[in-house]
Amino acid sequence: MQQKEAQKLWLIAPAALMVSLFFLYPLCFSLYSAVTLDGALTLSHLDKAFELYSKDMLFTVIIVLVSVMLLAILSISIAALITLSPFRSVVGILGFLYRLPLFIPFIVAAQMMRTFLAKNGLMNNAFVASGLMTPMDTISFLGWSGIIITFVWKQLAFSTLLISGAMAALDDAQIRAARNLGASRLRILFGIILPQIAPSLGVALVLSTVTMMSVLSVPMMIGTGTPTMISADMAFRVDSYGDYHVANALGLVSYLICAGLAWFYLRQSLKDKGATA
Amino acid sequence: MFTRTSIAVFAAIGLTSVISAAHGETVLNVASAGSQNMVDYVKTYLAPKFEATHPGVTINVIGTGPGDAGSQKIYEKLSAQKDSNQPTWDIDVAVVHQKMGGEMVKDDLLAKYRSQIDTGKLVSRDSAKNALGTNVNGYVMPMFHSQTAIAYNSDFVKHPPTSYNQLVTWTQQHPKAFGYNGIKNGMSGVSFVTGWIYAYGTNAKTLSSEPYNKANEANWKSAFAKLKAFNKNVTFTPGNAGTLDMLNRGEIFMGPVWVDMFYSWKAQGKIPPSMKLSLIAPGMPGQPMYYVIPKKAAHPELARQFIELATSPEVQAQGIVKRFNWYPGIDAKYVKSKLDKATWNKLFAEITPEDLSKYGKSFPIAQYFDDIKEGYERQVSN
Repeated sequence: MQQKEAQKLWLIAPAALMVSLFFLYPLCFSLYSAVTLDGALTLSHLDKAFELYSKDMLFTVIIVLVSVMLLAILSISIAALITLSPFRSVVGILGFLYRLPLFIPFIVAAQMMRTFLAKNGLMNNAFVASGLMTPMDTISFLGWSGIIITFVWKQLAFSTLLISGAMAALDDAQIRAARNLGASRLRILFGIILPQIAPSLGVALVLSTVTMMSVLSVPMMIGTGTPTMISADMAFRVDSYGDYHVANALGLVSYLICAGLAWFYLRQSLKDKGATA
Repeated sequence: MFTRTSIAVFAAIGLTSVISAAHGETVLNVASAGSQNMVDYVKTYLAPKFEATHPGVTINVIGTGPGDAGSQKIYEKLSAQKDSNQPTWDIDVAVVHQKMGGEMVKDDLLAKYRSQIDTGKLVSRDSAKNALGTNVNGYVMPMFHSQTAIAYNSDFVKHPPTSYNQLVTWTQQHPKAFGYNGIKNGMSGVSFVTGWIYAYGTNAKTLSSEPYNKANEANWKSAFAKLKAFNKNVTFTPGNAGTLDMLNRGEIFMGPVWVDMFYSWKAQGKIPPSMKLSLIAPGMPGQPMYYVIPKKAAHPELARQFIELATSPEVQAQGIVKRFNWYPGIDAKYVKSKLDKATWNKLFAEITPEDLSKYGKSFPIAQYFDDIKEGYERQVSN
């Protein structure tokens, strides 16, 4: 029996080694670098990070929160349409369309949005050509609004996939029963479906948040640099000053923002596993 | 999973060594920081020329990315190889920015080679001896010199500003028509901000040639406050190319650009002929790129021959000036005789040699430079 336990440990050794070598070690190293200078503990890097980039931190949090909120509304709407709509052929097309952004990398999405959302970009040109606008009325969406649009567009596929999957897994009998009792589709969505898929919704949004916090290409390509997101500041600290300490301190701030959310995710997934085991 | 990955890694390593052994050739590794046009220059122009006269030698060009970040990567690689006591380093020739060139010399990463090549004595610019306060005499050869200036659309702007003061007034009259890329998205914006400090903080001569003295920064506070107010009337662009892009699309009518990029885009028809340049008083900075040889390069002799070719008057004339619109790295008088008059005049069509010598400044020494960027982050953008 004991030998079996040891064998099990060997089984996880490669994975554990990979994680500790390529994730835990760099993580600890960067945390260490964020709070030390020549081996002595100091808060000066964090101080500097807040002094120089507090506006950018706030900007990042707002961008991420707004994106996540829009994401929740849109992906629930699409998933609900797919689950509850009586028009099956439309649902088929929608089911295909919403998955497309899943296969497009962030940098490609950013480049697409850059040509699409610019003042004289594809979108405004289409409006002008169709007579809805004059060239003088057009405005550029490059900036904070462009970043949000790109994030929502790109993450929509992922979160809708998770949410519509969870909706499909629900017992159909409940929905039919509710319908028999005269509940409207909206009532079914809010009264029956949403409460049951809340954990999946949470997970989809948390994972999207962490992804958005880590993307460098979108704020670099669509944002204008003032204010910008924390990831762009970290890159700038290293590239322009060779200053890893403050970059790591900014990383620490990102960790802390994500850590709160990761806690939620872990708690939720453990609870789910406990329920099925 | 782990075993499979390691098998793949070993296979890849094995394959590369087989490939290089099969060719039996000497590979000269040239790492170039800077935008894609610089990598293209080495790859499509210099490398074939060098390979033609050196049978059995292949040039392997590595682009490490635009801006200081590209030079930073080369620095980190060399510094890591030095720290781990490698007998030879795997970069033979590197093209780096001015600031990093100085730091590499300070950290003893470079070979002192200029006196060993024939073209070494053709250099006359001050930037070949002094890199933002560090003495680099002998360690570097300027590849070219580049300059920033204000580009404007002459269809809409009939009387372009000729100084920072006039520019400020112009942006007040035409809000959002001037655009620049801040300091995080490319050097043309950094250069504009540096010029601002030269105009309203401390003059260029003090900041770029005298020893570091923090007391000189006393009146920067008001300069940054002015810049913050100025920023309210401008549009922010996404980068060096982004500024040109927005100029082309008519989204802005004026903005700081690199002169060489401006000429190249104009030649390719990417910006309309109505775009013109103005170098405003009291001046905007420019910078050279350096050819350097790492101290323990595997093929130092070939590296020297490569740089000798790259800095010869013919290559400087045909490659640097004619094809890529840069100002030559070696003294212009050796280059002029190798060029037809039209090409030479084109280089100075927008900015006269007099303006260039009067208003073409260099970047400040490294400490001031960091202080300017950090001051901007602290007092203007946050």
